[in-house]
Amino acid sequence: MPAATQITEALIREYITRAVTDVFKTMIGREPKFSTTAPNQGGKSHPASNRPQVVGTVGFIGEANGLVYLHLDLEFARNCTKQLLGMTEAELDEAGDEVINDAIGELTNMTVGGFKNGLCDAGHPCKLTIPSILRGTNFSIEPISSAIRHVYHFDCEGHQVIADILMKQDE
Amino acid sequence: MRYKVLTVDDSKTVRIIVKKAFKPFDVEILEAANGVEGLAIAAKETPDLILLDVTMPVMDGVEMLTKLKSDAALKAIPVMMLTAEGGRDHVLKIAKIGVRDYLVKPFKEEVLIEKCSRVIDLKPVNEGPAKAKSIFDPADILIVEDKPAIVQQIQDGLKHTPWRMRGVSTQGEALDAVTKAPPDVIIVSLSLPEEAAFTLFRLIRTNVKTKYTPVFALVVKTETTQQQQAQTVGFSAIITKPIDMGELETKIAKAMNLDTSQRYYATEGTIMVMRLPEVCSPAVIAEAVTYLKPKFAEAVDSGINKIVIDIHQIKSLHMGIIKLLFQAMQTCRDLAMHFALVGNPQIISECKGFEDTRGWTFYDSLDEAKNNLGKGPAVSTPQMATVE
Repeated sequence: MPAATQITEALIREYITRAVTDVFKTMIGREPKFSTTAPNQGGKSHPASNRPQVVGTVGFIGEANGLVYLHLDLEFARNCTKQLLGMTEAELDEAGDEVINDAIGELTNMTVGGFKNGLCDAGHPCKLTIPSILRGTNFSIEPISSAIRHVYHFDCEGHQVIADILMKQDE
Repeated sequence: MRYKVLTVDDSKTVRIIVKKAFKPFDVEILEAANGVEGLAIAAKETPDLILLDVTMPVMDGVEMLTKLKSDAALKAIPVMMLTAEGGRDHVLKIAKIGVRDYLVKPFKEEVLIEKCSRVIDLKPVNEGPAKAKSIFDPADILIVEDKPAIVQQIQDGLKHTPWRMRGVSTQGEALDAVTKAPPDVIIVSLSLPEEAAFTLFRLIRTNVKTKYTPVFALVVKTETTQQQQAQTVGFSAIITKPIDMGELETKIAKAMNLDTSQRYYATEGTIMVMRLPEVCSPAVIAEAVTYLKPKFAEAVDSGINKIVIDIHQIKSLHMGIIKLLFQAMQTCRDLAMHFALVGNPQIISECKGFEDTRGWTFYDSLDEAKNNLGKGPAVSTPQMATVE
């Protein structure tokens, strides 16, 4: 096992940027660009959006522990699903929300997989958890106080993708 | 034999993507949402390849793989991991249990297919004529030749066909073209520098999309060593320079398994017309003979009992044509069909010179033959060669 490198913010940003870019470019054919790091809010909640959101969540457990939330607005989530599965608008309407949930869950799984593979290779072996989906409008996610939060915004050809990373601090 | 591929993934999305990727190939896709289902289907169906995820509920991929490899009946089934778990240590741990390949998500469908094709021999759903069916259908021909004059010569020589012909001059351009849109036939000049033609041929054959695409070698007639080398390597056909365009067209049509009968046989109203072209090479005669009996029988079967044999385009007779005409007339007699011949003064004159053809009667136009067909006896027996 390689000697563990300290997980700095720069490292987290590098891994998540690479993961988001790889996944959206390979699977959706779109190239997201890192746009901003959300200002440190002292672990406070991620600002609520008024637009319907689909949020994929996958955790990683091992020598690094945490959760990654991938926020997409519903319209973009639908576009990603159509692209991923080669479906038309009508086919997607017929298939229903379950298909969108599964597709965004898988995109999140791949993204968090890429992120945590970076952590593993830096000496922090960990495993993925099974994805879950949050849906809704005007909601916020509150972390527990012991978690460190990093929020990164990506611009994906006019759509916003937000990676919200909560990492458990060493005890 | 139809290959079976089992995809074991809790994500329906991934299973759909896998199915989509394999759609162009003659493969049956089996699905399982976790390791328990995966083992049950593997035992029941004995798939030829398993694509296995790691993180799954009920039973994860590592446990399923371990159980699979400890089962004497299942351990020989090749397994390819398809997972987001790509950390070095993790990959090494799984590799030790025994996997054929490891593909980390996200993945491109082409990469998945390319890796799978190393394990199973993927064949397109419709082998042989993938797109074109008859000589009137469009088809894509890629010409890989660094001499623009040769490309132009082929384009000019085959411009009467509906085929789209594109020329590229290097191996790199050819690979780009083949990857973007696999053509129906590829013609590669063996005179490309540094044996690039043979390297290109190998790359074409290892690409799953072009594995079965006919590849012709284009070579100077006197370069017999290169021709032998091309045959040994497995080129589909050899085309020699100077190019005989008729031969090239015939070979392309044959390679694409096109129905070329319409070149010689057509139904016009209630009459079938058998037409021979101006140049009747041995290849043309052989092609016309191949279709003769089936086409005549097809006409009778659909209620047509009149045939015009039109050879007015032919400049000069030879034994191959005479034999073909005898065979056509005999087939008409066997099927109790009326027939008439259409010729030109040169042909009629030449017919008078042969004992066997001296009695043939010709009309000088198709319309005249059509109008007079059936007015005589049921089976025409030409008496004298005359211009009507």
